[in-house]
Amino acid sequence: MRNIFLFSLLSWTCLAQQPVNLTDLSAFKSPSANWTIEGAVQAAYSDTTFQVATGKGILVNTIRNGKYHRTDDLSFGFSHGDIHLMFDFMLPKKGNSGVYLQSRYEVQLADSWGKKKLNFGDCGGIYERWDDTRGKGKEGYEGYAPMQNASKAPGLWQTMEIDFQAPRFDANGKKIQNAIFKKVILNGILIHENIEVLGVTRGAVSTQEVASAPILVQGDHTQVAFKNIRFETYDKPSVKMGPVAYDYYTGKFTEPVIGGAKAVASGKLDRLTYKVIKDKNDYLIDYKSEIEVPETDEYEFQSYWTGSGVVKVDGVELNQGAHWYSEMVSAKTKLTAGKHQLEVIQIKDFPWGPQALGLYVKRIGAHPVALHERTSLPDPEAVGLIEVKANAEPVFQRSFAFHHGKKKTHVIQVGDPSGMHYSYDLKQGALLQVWRGPFLNATQMWENRGEPQTSEPMGVTVTLDGQFPLVLAHQALADSTELVYKGFRLKDGRPVFMYQWPATNLMLEDYIRPNAAGTGLERTLTYKSTSPMQSASELVLGNSYHGIANIHSNLIGLQGQSYFVQWDGRPGEVLSPKNGLKQQRIPVQGNEISYQLIW
Amino acid sequence: MKNIHYIIALLLISICAFAQKPSQKTEKDYYEIKTLPIPKEIYLEIGGIATMPDGRLAVSTRRGEIWIIENPYQTTNHQVHYKRFASGMHEVLGLAYKDGAFYCSQRGELTKITDTDRDGVADLYEPIYQFELSGNYHEYTYGPVFDKNGDMLVTLNLAWVGFGEGKFAKWRGWLVKIHPDGTLEPFAAGLRSPAGYSINQDGDIFYGENQGDWVGSGRVTHLAKGDFAGNPGGLKWAKEPNSPFRLTLEEIQDNGAPMYEAAAKVKNLKLPAVWFPHAIMGISTSDILQDTTRGKFSPFPGQYFVADQGQSKVMRMGLEKVNGVYQGFCINYREGFQSGILRERFGLDGSMFVGMTSRGWGSTGKDEFGLQRLVWNGVMPFEIQDIQAKPDGFEISFTQAVDVNSVKKAASYALRSYIYKYQHQYGSPIIELKDLKISAVDVSSDKRKVRLVIDGLRQYYIHEFKLEGVRNEAGEPLLHETAYYTLNQIPAGGKLAVQSANRPVEVAEVKQVEAKPAKKAKNTVISDAEAMALLKKHTCLACHAKEAKVVGPSYADIAKRNYTDKQILELVYKPNPQNWPDYATEMAPMSHVPAGDVLKIASWINGLRGKALLNHD
Repeated sequence: MRNIFLFSLLSWTCLAQQPVNLTDLSAFKSPSANWTIEGAVQAAYSDTTFQVATGKGILVNTIRNGKYHRTDDLSFGFSHGDIHLMFDFMLPKKGNSGVYLQSRYEVQLADSWGKKKLNFGDCGGIYERWDDTRGKGKEGYEGYAPMQNASKAPGLWQTMEIDFQAPRFDANGKKIQNAIFKKVILNGILIHENIEVLGVTRGAVSTQEVASAPILVQGDHTQVAFKNIRFETYDKPSVKMGPVAYDYYTGKFTEPVIGGAKAVASGKLDRLTYKVIKDKNDYLIDYKSEIEVPETDEYEFQSYWTGSGVVKVDGVELNQGAHWYSEMVSAKTKLTAGKHQLEVIQIKDFPWGPQALGLYVKRIGAHPVALHERTSLPDPEAVGLIEVKANAEPVFQRSFAFHHGKKKTHVIQVGDPSGMHYSYDLKQGALLQVWRGPFLNATQMWENRGEPQTSEPMGVTVTLDGQFPLVLAHQALADSTELVYKGFRLKDGRPVFMYQWPATNLMLEDYIRPNAAGTGLERTLTYKSTSPMQSASELVLGNSYHGIANIHSNLIGLQGQSYFVQWDGRPGEVLSPKNGLKQQRIPVQGNEISYQLIW
Repeated sequence: MKNIHYIIALLLISICAFAQKPSQKTEKDYYEIKTLPIPKEIYLEIGGIATMPDGRLAVSTRRGEIWIIENPYQTTNHQVHYKRFASGMHEVLGLAYKDGAFYCSQRGELTKITDTDRDGVADLYEPIYQFELSGNYHEYTYGPVFDKNGDMLVTLNLAWVGFGEGKFAKWRGWLVKIHPDGTLEPFAAGLRSPAGYSINQDGDIFYGENQGDWVGSGRVTHLAKGDFAGNPGGLKWAKEPNSPFRLTLEEIQDNGAPMYEAAAKVKNLKLPAVWFPHAIMGISTSDILQDTTRGKFSPFPGQYFVADQGQSKVMRMGLEKVNGVYQGFCINYREGFQSGILRERFGLDGSMFVGMTSRGWGSTGKDEFGLQRLVWNGVMPFEIQDIQAKPDGFEISFTQAVDVNSVKKAASYALRSYIYKYQHQYGSPIIELKDLKISAVDVSSDKRKVRLVIDGLRQYYIHEFKLEGVRNEAGEPLLHETAYYTLNQIPAGGKLAVQSANRPVEVAEVKQVEAKPAKKAKNTVISDAEAMALLKKHTCLACHAKEAKVVGPSYADIAKRNYTDKQILELVYKPNPQNWPDYATEMAPMSHVPAGDVLKIASWINGLRGKALLNHD
């Protein structure tokens, strides 16, 4: 703990998270022989053990002395209270481990890939509590299954994010607030929110709950690998704000600039609030206060308002612009220890919309500090989810969709009862993303006027390159194609997309459906017309900015092993079309070619 | 003594009988609305309707589906049966059925949908044309409507970013023709929100426009190839090599003068055929259909029926051509539909299916969506049949013979004319309002036509006719007494000689004494019935109700604000939307309503406060 504290005092440019050093095992307390540092790890989704390569950066557990020795659990060197912890992990088939916050509250790591019914022992579950005195068969109680199955296949890197609040104690050491898992996010899917743990979970180092203790990782069941471990704790002091003086002006202000206007009212407040504003619109309010900064550091101001505004510290403009109260605007600045002048100016020049004003200050290592009254920031609108389900038969739905930050307008989403779905760009003949879990969130399209007109996946998503996969031999893969979309026909309820490919003058069909094993999606491209050009074409199995892992002759891991591609094993070639980009291609033979995406 | 009472009673009754008015007829007595029930799990937000030759009805929805409905005419049984034919499309706002296939417009594609194995579910979706999109939600695409050559007409809504217009994708703001081979022919431009359009039996295309930027009020415009209907949002594409005209924004005057002044300088700026005065004749003009049912649908064959989304009603439009230019009048027909109307299509029996959705916008009919059928029961109402422009006025024809005395009285009429601004700002108040005087009235021998000679006709202006005092021979008033005629052209020809014999009869006016509160009897507030009559007359009920929140706040809620009567008058003439921030639609200024009537309504509204207290004691 002390080491980390000094580290943050010394550097101004802190990352949002503190990384845990994985060049050696010095970050841990007396690790057993099971734990090693490696450079690379890989496995096929059917392997129960990893292949490792020497190097640095990956923490690996390998059972060397047999199972179930608690001495093989790994304790971190620092103790924590509240913590925001993020890490990547990889499990082999049937893998099993767990991360104990404060060595007492376990989030389970397990191979739950493809499981339909879940319990606390599945990946991301908050493990059950255990009490032998409850009687045989009843020792286990509580425990929380994840809200949905967010597991990826064994042999793939998965991400976990845990926002944990430690238990609170009074001056006499009596617990006054349970530990809370505020958020647990597995592979980008929220699986727990605000779950209180009433006591330590099974296998905790002690039944005694405490304010501070180290992280413990289970190392006694199967292999498990970790990398990119980082965290934020909240022990540092943050800003304090003095009383607020405000001046209120009426009139048509189009910018939050006072100009020559004269105030019609003034007053004093303890904290910022919009509630002193009498009018619904056509006003300007100017709040001024002094803030006390405890230590020189970077401070982030997070503002919320309906209308336009500006936040100034010592006269320098930070947050600004026209926004709706649900949008958070962020601006960071370095502040020296001592007193600073804060000014917030807000205007609203239209009659509609709820009034709102909120301002938080966030320092890395401290919880956010609210400079506004709680009632000054209204609750967001309660909009119920509009979900498109694909439980009974395949379903497809067109909408706008974002891909790599760009809004695409001719996209179709196809959902399947197997729980594996994809979204597809009809202009490019390109897979945009695949996901596993519930199908589609269409609220942004069908709620009220539906201004975004987008829909979003509801499961564990792998974003793909969004490019048409066929290319002429030895030619570069085009970023976008001139394909002529000819529509789709239904086969077993699923679309078969039809195109004309001008580069070859061939007609082709693109058919995507769950593979036979139920482990992923299989895509088959079929040429419907004939031409010698078809044998001069190649299929791009994938593009990866994070290397290609060769796992078997017919199986590769792409994008830092975030998904697998499997094919019939025919040899191809790996190209480097751009700096840092790897592309694997195989030749088309005959009039059809297939490959599988497994994740 | 009892006998005397009896005789007096009889005398009184007989006196009353002479003075008694016949019972007031309403729209319901002639035009019936049938409602098709919709299963709770179907979101039937209708964008398109196609009548099928086999007695079924197909509808397309904003959720991207096509539903086929069996027994839509509900002849033997009130239940209708739904089967989903197609799905997964991106907001289908138009539908047509031709040669066994469906054609529909999604946001970004004109799609042909076929059921190749004839199992009742579509299995082939082919793009006929793909439209570019910017990603803005307001870029709606409507159609297709087939013309007699087999070409498909499609209209394209402009984008919207909260104020002003948005980034413009190709052909937004245009009416385009898609040929069967998939090529696009740009046809006309200047459109803003062209949700409804159709082709009349002469092959002429009409479309409905919504009040907005550059559009002072809703209206119907005839579009010929190369026409520019007024909103410059899509003018970027007039630079395309195949555009039928060239025009830039800079050539259009933007000073709030009426549109006809700008049209004098821009050759292809097309003036509307008929203006639909905002808030009175709708707030969002949608579909248009000409009655070609040869007397089955309505008492007005050949005239047009124009729907409104916001006010949930169908209006009637009569057109004529003067000097080769389309013009005519609009008049109410039937209100009271369950939601906001987007689509109209005739059924096989000449009735009209009305498809509705209002999700995201307020509408008088409070359901989020609906499907109804408008049927005429065959009884002839007493209505204005037609209005035709004359060199010196207008000729109004009626469905029944008129009571000659009633049409000769000047007091039976209130006539005025006005127009709107043409400017980039959103909408326009009524401007240049002038009352009009009738200098002569001539009645035809069959008493079915009345010719009015009017002082101060103004070309291009909207001429409003309120025929409050006109009666038929049975003493009944008109079912709809107000019509609005857009006088684009004044015909040449013979004027009627004005003689003493045909001057309108002026009755010595009994001066209406304005209520002096101090001197009047205790109860100066009008009754609920009188209030409702005034509110209906001035179309307040289109947006307000006594207790319920509709397009605008309820009168009960207005009463709670404790405005004085005078403040209510000021706010009715110049509404302040920031007083009611929770309401999506801003109130249009109602400065044409006479102050005396507004004050009566205001005191009635304020009287609701006292009543509320009484009722809840």
